[in-house]
Amino acid sequence: MLVDTALLVPASARADTPSPQKTTVSQGLAGIALRGGALAVFVTVFVLFAFASPIFLTPFNLGNILAQSAISGVLAIGLTVVIIAGGGNVVSGGIDLSLAANMGLSAAVYAALSQAGQVDGVAVLAALGTGLAIGAVNALAVTWARIVPLLATLAVMNVVGGLELVLTQNTVIPAITPLLESLSGSGPFGIPALAYVLLGFALITAVVVQATPLGLRLYAVGEFPEAARASGLALKRFIAGSFLFSGLSGGIAGILSAAYLSGSTTGAGELLLPVVVTALLGQVFSRRLVPTITGTLLSALFVGVLINGFQLLNLSSTLVSGIQGLLILLVVSATTLLRPKEG
Amino acid sequence: MSGTTIGGWFQRRDILKWSAAAGVAAAGTTLLSGTMAFAEEGSLKGKRIGISTAGTDHFFDLQAYNAQIDEVKRLGGEPIAVDAGRNDGKLVAQLQTLIAQKPDAIVQLLGTVSVIDPWLKKAHDAGIPVLTIDVGSSHSLNNSTSDNWGIGKDLALQLVSDIGGEGNIVVFNGFYGVTPCAIRYDQLVNVVKYYPKVKILQPELRDVIPNTVQDAFSQITAILNKYPEKGSIKAIWSAWDVPQLGATQALVAAGRTEIKTYGVDGSPEVLQLVADANSPAAADVAQQPAELGRTAIRNVAKLLAGQTLPRESYVPALIANKANVGEVTKKLGIG
Repeated sequence: MLVDTALLVPASARADTPSPQKTTVSQGLAGIALRGGALAVFVTVFVLFAFASPIFLTPFNLGNILAQSAISGVLAIGLTVVIIAGGGNVVSGGIDLSLAANMGLSAAVYAALSQAGQVDGVAVLAALGTGLAIGAVNALAVTWARIVPLLATLAVMNVVGGLELVLTQNTVIPAITPLLESLSGSGPFGIPALAYVLLGFALITAVVVQATPLGLRLYAVGEFPEAARASGLALKRFIAGSFLFSGLSGGIAGILSAAYLSGSTTGAGELLLPVVVTALLGQVFSRRLVPTITGTLLSALFVGVLINGFQLLNLSSTLVSGIQGLLILLVVSATTLLRPKEG
Repeated sequence: MSGTTIGGWFQRRDILKWSAAAGVAAAGTTLLSGTMAFAEEGSLKGKRIGISTAGTDHFFDLQAYNAQIDEVKRLGGEPIAVDAGRNDGKLVAQLQTLIAQKPDAIVQLLGTVSVIDPWLKKAHDAGIPVLTIDVGSSHSLNNSTSDNWGIGKDLALQLVSDIGGEGNIVVFNGFYGVTPCAIRYDQLVNVVKYYPKVKILQPELRDVIPNTVQDAFSQITAILNKYPEKGSIKAIWSAWDVPQLGATQALVAAGRTEIKTYGVDGSPEVLQLVADANSPAAADVAQQPAELGRTAIRNVAKLLAGQTLPRESYVPALIANKANVGEVTKKLGIG
């Protein structure tokens, strides 16, 4: 009986174990192993693909991987900021489930306006405005109405999805504009323009979140809300700001999606789970197993590399989701077990 | 089905062999007839063929997709097959990677034209020949498709003949914007024009996606309430067979099995209804998806052997009615 119980209780929960120090040490080691393991897996996969396919390492193909990861990468980075500010608890922490629907509606707004003869400037502003407006509704629902982000953004997701249906009648709206053509074309060195957009967006966000006082406060608000409040930080303002940022990311992703798919198409909602997975998986690519922008970027690229490499090796891409699922299971269980308990 | 087809192939092979031998005997142009026979048969030895599909979740796509893969292997080539699972983003990413893989040709099966066209153009610009199945793209060298004029005419003639050249028909016309549906509808109108006693009831019904079956069921139930006497409606026509499925179910539920239903696509569940003597499902024109897939791959082989291809390759469709449905399902390989 006693043995059974001991086995069933996860290591971190055994507060009354005789040697807590040993537990911490082993936790630290496991953490290093997990982080190192994740990077090692990425590097191994990369090297394997490089050896197995002569095309893999060509700049053209690497550029393709970046471009193919651009839309989900931008969304996942937006989501990461929400998770940082709202805390990492999967149920009560920060999450934005409306992101994929946001991208769909923003793309539809952009495509519909361009088809109606509006210039790029107007369509871009409208798409970004759509994204920001959705972010604002999320922010109000979470900070003012005090609804749990999981539920608030789930409701907003449904509203936004419905609006997209109304706008598009569930059809494809083709759009070809100078902006979309340059975005879907190649930039310097023959590498797709979308690749540069992803790297630029990730770089700016990473600098702000990981190297400025603002970013530090964002982490404080999410991880140690009581301490942050005690030191005089306006928690609600940070949380609302994170939703506005993720809304804007949805708008940007909408424009990228319109460029990639030459207009707006149906089925944007299917991107939601891959984006959530990417953002969660990003944590294993960070030093302290916390959400970071660089970690999320690596995670998005890892998924992109897997999908690309599987096609190059002529393997079924259905395996990719299986591998993703395994990794996420590993990450969630590991972070739950290894992270120091909050509060 | 595969049995008969393979049999057909061997026969054709033999004929080619014999004709080659005859050529040798007659004129001694050994080399020439030899290579010609080889080109006729088509070989993809050492060739990598990209096969991209919008999805494989419908009977049609799955059959056409698998038949392409099998045909490339049979002809000695290596298929690089990618399935986008009805996700446009995935479809574009796969095409993009496919272009980087520089296969000897790409065959695109279905897909929204405005989404894939820019990428088919990129493939074309990269020097990769692009062929399509059921996609009207200006960057495709050859499109294998069913003869929709033939489909529309066959279905309309069957309908008019079944109802004895007179009576009211209910029509689902929700997808006139989709070219194959428009052609089939126009053919119905063309045929009905010469049967003055046949009337298309107005207003026409609009079929929808998704929830096609449920929606057709409720629309037909409403129409039946509007025309309660038996004989006031003779037939229900739709440009594909999923609304036909809902309509047929509604007729059975309302006990109005004297009305007959007509559709296109050869979905196995509808063919089953046609096979049921008591079901109002009267006819369903079946496309031959596997044959479409094989035709496209044979066209690739011809192209790579230096032949020029026609703009379109039409594959005949098979009309399944109460009398011949057994034969048709057998031929489609789903019997």
